Amino acid sequence: MSGLTDLFERLRSIVFRRRDERELDEELAFHATMEAEQLERAGYTASDARRQSLIALGGIERVKEDARDARGTRTFHDIGRDFGFAVRTLAHNPGFATVAILTLAVGIGGTTAVFSAVDAVLLQPLPFQEPGQLARLYQADSAYPADRQFVTPVHFVDYRRELGAFDAVAALYTYSETGGDIGEGDDVRRIRVLPVTSGYFDVVRVPPKLGRGFQPDEENGELLVVLSDRLWRERFHGDREAIGQRLTMNGRPYTVVGVMPAEFEDPIAGPTDVWVPLDLGPARDPDNAENHYLSVIARLRPGVSITRAQAELDRLNATLGARYADASDAVARLDPLKEDVVGSADRALGIMLGAVAMVLVLVCVNIANLLLVRGSDRAREFALRSALGAERTRLVRQTLIESVTLALAGAIVGVIVARFAMSAIVALGADSIPRLSELTLAPRLLAFSVVIATLSAIGFGLAPAFRAAKADPGDVLRVETRSSTSTGSQMRLREWLVVSQVALAFVLLVGAGLLILSLKNLRDVNLGLKTSGVLTFELHLPDARYDSTARARFYEEVAARLSEIRGVSAAAGVSRLPATGNYHVWGTRAMSGPLVNTERGAMQAQQRVVAGDYFAAVGIPLVEGRLFDTRDDATAPLRMVVSRRAADLLFPGVRAVGERIRAGGRTAEVIGVVGDVALDARGDVVPYVYHAHRQFAGNRNWALTQVLRASGSTAGLQADVRRTLAALDPQLVVYKPAELGDVIGRSEAQRVFTLQLLTTFAGVALALAALGLFGVLSYGVRLRGREFGIRMALGADRRKIRRMVLREGLTVTAIGTVIGLLGAIALSRLLTSMVFGISALDPLVMLGAVAFMTLVAAIAAYLPAHRATSAEPRSILQ
Amino acid sequence: MAGEPGELLQGTLEMMVLKTLSLEPMHGWGIAQRIQQMSKDVFLVSQGSLYPALIRMKRRGWLTTSWRVTENGRRARYYELTPAGRKQLGVEQTSWQRMSDAVNWVMGARLATDGGRR
Repeated sequence: MSGLTDLFERLRSIVFRRRDERELDEELAFHATMEAEQLERAGYTASDARRQSLIALGGIERVKEDARDARGTRTFHDIGRDFGFAVRTLAHNPGFATVAILTLAVGIGGTTAVFSAVDAVLLQPLPFQEPGQLARLYQADSAYPADRQFVTPVHFVDYRRELGAFDAVAALYTYSETGGDIGEGDDVRRIRVLPVTSGYFDVVRVPPKLGRGFQPDEENGELLVVLSDRLWRERFHGDREAIGQRLTMNGRPYTVVGVMPAEFEDPIAGPTDVWVPLDLGPARDPDNAENHYLSVIARLRPGVSITRAQAELDRLNATLGARYADASDAVARLDPLKEDVVGSADRALGIMLGAVAMVLVLVCVNIANLLLVRGSDRAREFALRSALGAERTRLVRQTLIESVTLALAGAIVGVIVARFAMSAIVALGADSIPRLSELTLAPRLLAFSVVIATLSAIGFGLAPAFRAAKADPGDVLRVETRSSTSTGSQMRLREWLVVSQVALAFVLLVGAGLLILSLKNLRDVNLGLKTSGVLTFELHLPDARYDSTARARFYEEVAARLSEIRGVSAAAGVSRLPATGNYHVWGTRAMSGPLVNTERGAMQAQQRVVAGDYFAAVGIPLVEGRLFDTRDDATAPLRMVVSRRAADLLFPGVRAVGERIRAGGRTAEVIGVVGDVALDARGDVVPYVYHAHRQFAGNRNWALTQVLRASGSTAGLQADVRRTLAALDPQLVVYKPAELGDVIGRSEAQRVFTLQLLTTFAGVALALAALGLFGVLSYGVRLRGREFGIRMALGADRRKIRRMVLREGLTVTAIGTVIGLLGAIALSRLLTSMVFGISALDPLVMLGAVAFMTLVAAIAAYLPAHRATSAEPRSILQ
Repeated sequence: MAGEPGELLQGTLEMMVLKTLSLEPMHGWGIAQRIQQMSKDVFLVSQGSLYPALIRMKRRGWLTTSWRVTENGRRARYYELTPAGRKQLGVEQTSWQRMSDAVNWVMGARLATDGGRR
């Protein structure tokens, strides 16, 4: 209690210092008056009495000082004065102050911005309750357990029934063809529909804000709908009475059973307009045990780890493997949902975090260097003040306060830098890094960076201060400008700091070099396509106005009309753009040829539905046979085109054209073999099967993406496209127009993002290392200016001296580079998954980094070397 | 405990201030005078030790202060014991009693004769 009172009184005294002083004056004056009156009564004259009373009291000032001590505020008082002094001292040396504050600002700002990005994307959980319990379930071929396949309805139902580890589990149908038409007549519009099973709302733990979700007995395609907040406001004007009302979709009357909260967004499908019950009817057909099309998310029971759930799943896999012996890709695995959403950004951001940490260390080292130089510069000043009677604690305290002042200024500028850096990061990566748009400046991360930078400023500011305070002032003053033993050891310390800087910068340089080359290799990958000069956009047809026959005709019509636009050489539609990942992976088997009825004759292949002149439009060559044409319509026998890889796998050693295959439950004749297309931008080649839209339009509304090959540039094409489409159907929208190269590159945008940031960091690191080297050498030259002057006066060759300084700089660089090289080798394992077509230990990159580092070091060392010898010896010696 | 007027140990001064203020609230000069009187002019309390002591004691929460007008019309800062201060006085009195008893036992015989002379 009394401790608290004490603290409170001290703090009060700081705040009311003036009043306390005034009151003390008055109190002491009163005391003196009373004393004088008493003395007067005892017979002294008034002035004598006054004098006597003062003597009796002891010096007034002394009393006041003692009283201040008693108030316990003297330290605070002095610290306030030291702050003022620190600001003045720093202002006297604006060069030093600017460099130090900017270095700190870069460190604090840059680090915080990137930490915040990593935090928002990686460390912050999904915006759901207990996100750690959320998992995504994939199926995979037991031979390729890393593969991630969608889940079959048959397996889903079994998982749901038999897994005790799940609190709730749900299947979603996330394919983009699941659109719905709403509105009437000319006003028909296509909206995004997400079919889900009843457990969906329990998995995400977001119940509808109005009404209810779905029941298990409604998982049969019942006409029920849960609205998004947006559609609820648009169609029902936010009326709570919307529940139970009707929403006409695809011409069928759906009953509104619920409305989701505005802030809810599906973790996998993204923005959704309505949720409908998924039809689990196909689960009753064992044939569908090979039909992978569901996305499955689960919430684990509280306290159940993903490892434990996986163990249970593994046991179930064995049982199900026996039950559906024919099923391929039937091994199931669980991934944390967060990992699934963030995906491989994980590693990119992890690497960035490492790069940022290195830059932060570099900043601290630079600050250390700056303060050490300053410390040795001020050794004399401190010695003088100490000789004049300044207390050592006082000198140390003053240095401390100066460091804190610097750190505070750096922190303030750092926050500004952080703001700018964050906008830059968002602008750079918003498209490629999921959830980056949620980026905000995290206060605790800012605090972390500020604390680290402040600690380094204080630590390295205090070291020389303590040394200076300990040193005998006489020694320091006598030594004057000659280098003393203490500055010699400081010099060595500083050289080691520069070595560490060079090493860190080197590692970042190697990282940036590897990524630059990877990106180049990636661009050179042969995707089996001609990606340049291809415009793409999505075209969704409302079912209400377009039945399957109309769709089959219309997509061909669109392609024909679009290809008539001047500057367009081919136009087509496709269910999914090439080289953009897995889509409609269906079981495919040879129905004739050497592998008929064998295990090898069955496999999973990418299925694409095409309209128009697809292969010409994206530049896939015909290898054998023919392509689809007007002969292949709904009335003709089913025909398919396969990729060369598919032909080789299904019909080894024989001519594929004329053989028969079965895919998607349809048996067809192979009429042509086309060139291979990569699965994604990395260039992995997988088998493809192509279906003619004219023959397959009845299966579903394929929502074909249009592709247009321009003979020249695609610029200006969009206006013609809109005009052409408006002439065909004014209600249609050109949705998501983009260059094919950009669409494919999108999956690599993450790598570009990482690359840009890492290159920036490498640049900053290099600049900091160069600055450090420059600082150390300049300082060394200044210390030895006298020595150089004498040498030159005695006839030493200027070039020799210059070489000496240069050699010193390059030695430090060489040691740092060797250490950096070892570091890069040690870290190469981390980079392996980020590099492409190149070893993480690529000798060319290593050599290049060495050369670049040396070049920068040579420049940083040349300036001081030049300065060492450019002055006239006489002017130095005087 | 010299017979001459002199400086006091800090703790002793504080104890005497507490004792003085236990009688009535008083200003600094009054406290000094009262101690001088009560000690029969043995202790002359200097301003230099009194005021720091008062501030310290206030910091510990033993005293509160208020500005009042003295009987002859001057403004002065009056010090008053808080309950904590009163308790502290009890503590100090007990420990002082124990200590002076102990010193008396040690110095027993001579003290008796000294006492006799006075």
